Amino acid sequence: MTLFHFGNCFSLAYFPYFITYKCSGLSEYNAFWRCVQAGATYLFVQLCKMLFLATFFPTWEGGAGVYDFVGEFMKATVDLADLLGLHLVMSRNAGKGEYKIMVAAMGWATAELIMSRCIPLWVGARGIEFDWKYIQMSFDSNISLVHYIAMAAVVWMFTRYDLPKSFRLPVTILLGLCVYKGFLMELFVHVFLLGSWTALLVKAVLTGAISLCSLFLFVTLVHSN
Amino acid sequence: MFEEASEVLENMLKWSFPLSLVLFLVLVCPLRAEAAHEFSVYRMQQYDLQGQTYGSRNAILNTEARTVDAEVLSRRCVMVRLADFSYEKYQKALRQSAGAVVIILPQNMSTMPQDIVQQFMELEPELLATETIVPVYFALEDEELLSIYTQTQISSSSQGSSSAAEVLLHTATANGFQMVTSGAQSKAVSDWAITSLEGRLTGAGGEDLPTIVLVAHYDSFGVAPWLSYGADSNGSGVAVLLELARLFSRLYSYKRTHAGYNLLFFLSGGGKFNYQGTKRWLEDNLDHTDSSLLQDNVAFVLCLDTLGNSDNLHLHVSKPPKEGSPQHALLKELETVAAHQHPDLKFSMVHKKINLADDTLAWEHERFGIRRLPAFTLSHLESHRSPARHSIMDMRSVSSLEGLSRNTKVIAEALARVIYNLTEKGVGGDLQIFTEQMQVQEDQLASLVDWLTAQPRAAQLLDKDSSIVNTLEYYLSRYLKDVKRHLVRADKRDPEFVFYDQLKQTMNAYRVKPAIFDLLLAVCIASYLGVLYLAVQFHVWF
Repeated sequence: MTLFHFGNCFSLAYFPYFITYKCSGLSEYNAFWRCVQAGATYLFVQLCKMLFLATFFPTWEGGAGVYDFVGEFMKATVDLADLLGLHLVMSRNAGKGEYKIMVAAMGWATAELIMSRCIPLWVGARGIEFDWKYIQMSFDSNISLVHYIAMAAVVWMFTRYDLPKSFRLPVTILLGLCVYKGFLMELFVHVFLLGSWTALLVKAVLTGAISLCSLFLFVTLVHSN
Repeated sequence: MFEEASEVLENMLKWSFPLSLVLFLVLVCPLRAEAAHEFSVYRMQQYDLQGQTYGSRNAILNTEARTVDAEVLSRRCVMVRLADFSYEKYQKALRQSAGAVVIILPQNMSTMPQDIVQQFMELEPELLATETIVPVYFALEDEELLSIYTQTQISSSSQGSSSAAEVLLHTATANGFQMVTSGAQSKAVSDWAITSLEGRLTGAGGEDLPTIVLVAHYDSFGVAPWLSYGADSNGSGVAVLLELARLFSRLYSYKRTHAGYNLLFFLSGGGKFNYQGTKRWLEDNLDHTDSSLLQDNVAFVLCLDTLGNSDNLHLHVSKPPKEGSPQHALLKELETVAAHQHPDLKFSMVHKKINLADDTLAWEHERFGIRRLPAFTLSHLESHRSPARHSIMDMRSVSSLEGLSRNTKVIAEALARVIYNLTEKGVGGDLQIFTEQMQVQEDQLASLVDWLTAQPRAAQLLDKDSSIVNTLEYYLSRYLKDVKRHLVRADKRDPEFVFYDQLKQTMNAYRVKPAIFDLLLAVCIASYLGVLYLAVQFHVWF
């Protein structure tokens, strides 16, 4: 309701990105245009995914209340393209591991923020009617930032030639979790009938767990080198 | 070294993230999410009659909702339920310059206790007479509206409560509602045509036959035009007239029973607005045409008004009928029929002189009386000021119409006795003419009233193409000849009646939070971002 609320939501969504960009030292490396390139790759990958989904997946024609587990699972599998896109971005950037990860993640997450959050916030949060979902949307974008950083780190680790054998399995598991996180969230919401705030909490916890594990693995990998 | 530092940072960040989320949740305690609610509202009457303005003058509304027991009412929309409504509260709201009043009526009026219904019926004319520039709307209650009302009531009544911290927390979490109507400002409808219908049954035996005129006005009136169904007043009158038309047209179709009287049936519009339809019809027939049934030999004019329930029947006259006149004959026949065939019916004559100094005329027969035509009105009400004639509570579910078929029978029998001159021929008072195939059909009457009360019949809503007018015309033309329409349009320079539009609106109720809430949210978000910034700042890892 009103521009002030829109300002609140927008700052809640955008500032963490800004903080991350500034404080992770990316600005020192003049990484702005590389982030923009990563964002462009995100757009391209999303376009390809949408075309693929539209062409090959039929619309679900079952009853309204039944959740199509298999169909949604297949659709989530298409999200593997995200991983490919991240890998593409990171391979084109020369530099240290952390630099590549951060550039890819920042660009990717910012593009997602602009594409999927700005317009709903602009149209919805400025109206008369107040709804908690705009604040939730902004929080969700914070969580996505962390999620994409973790995802980029896992992809980077997966493609390393010097990855120890013992790490292969955890990294693959984490990779799978990253891709299917959205599917798992919907499953939880549907089965346990979670409210919107609870779902957000669960999502935050899940993302936190994934990123903690990936950070642990990453630190161990870098440290052992 | 920085790996461990970054690990510590990550730990801190990751654990403080859900923690701050929980803290935020605890601080703000969000309520169950509810979308904006959209519902139809019906505006109070707004009209000018003979230069005098009535009703609420305004239609636009964009204010916050409050209930009537809140302290600050100015520029707010006051919501009241019918059960809590009283004239003092209404006046209090107006005195405090409220922005609007919305009265919530139950979906099913028959669940309301009778005394509340009666009290509201008596309040309606007062509401209309009070000069208001604020819009007054009526809404039918449903679940969401009730929950909006309850929430508004909780927040309104706790405004004067205890400590500052509680008040702060309460204002931060309260759900206010903003009521917005979507329409424009109300303006006068130009060139509105009120339609009246006439039809006749010609008598047997040549020229110069005496004419009996049967009149009933078909429109209804109430404090809100879209809610005026007028079951008893005057749905019952119309039903009786249509049934009489059917019965007498059947009698007139046989040569042996074709009487020597012309029967003229008239369904007048604009009856509740000082009988505009009748007035113009009389002017046109008496002043502007050369020959009309009304100019020649009129035996009497019988107006039917509110004949539904109760065991009383009154014949209202403006001057007592002279001995030997056809009027007197009808009076006598009515007394005879009532006495012999329906002893539980109490019939009487009520004499009231026409008072031309009054704003509006009392009964429809006075229009005819002014033009020197002998007329009377038959009604079960004793006074024309009875609130039952102008109420939105006059609905099919609330008004019972048990006496309707009996009254129809009484009128039919009395009319037949006059037309066929039965008393002079020595026929006793107990002979019933309308029996067996000629009987008054109760289900016909019931279905007519059901149809009439299925939609509101306020004069402002029935233009010449409305389905009610068309159906009435069709019905009359099945039984009568020469069915004609008669239109009344208000005079351009000095209009007798002016109607206004925007009588039905869609109102939206938006959930809003108070301005303090935005500030509180901004403070929380700023602190969250500050924590985030500090956390990242102290552990720069590249």
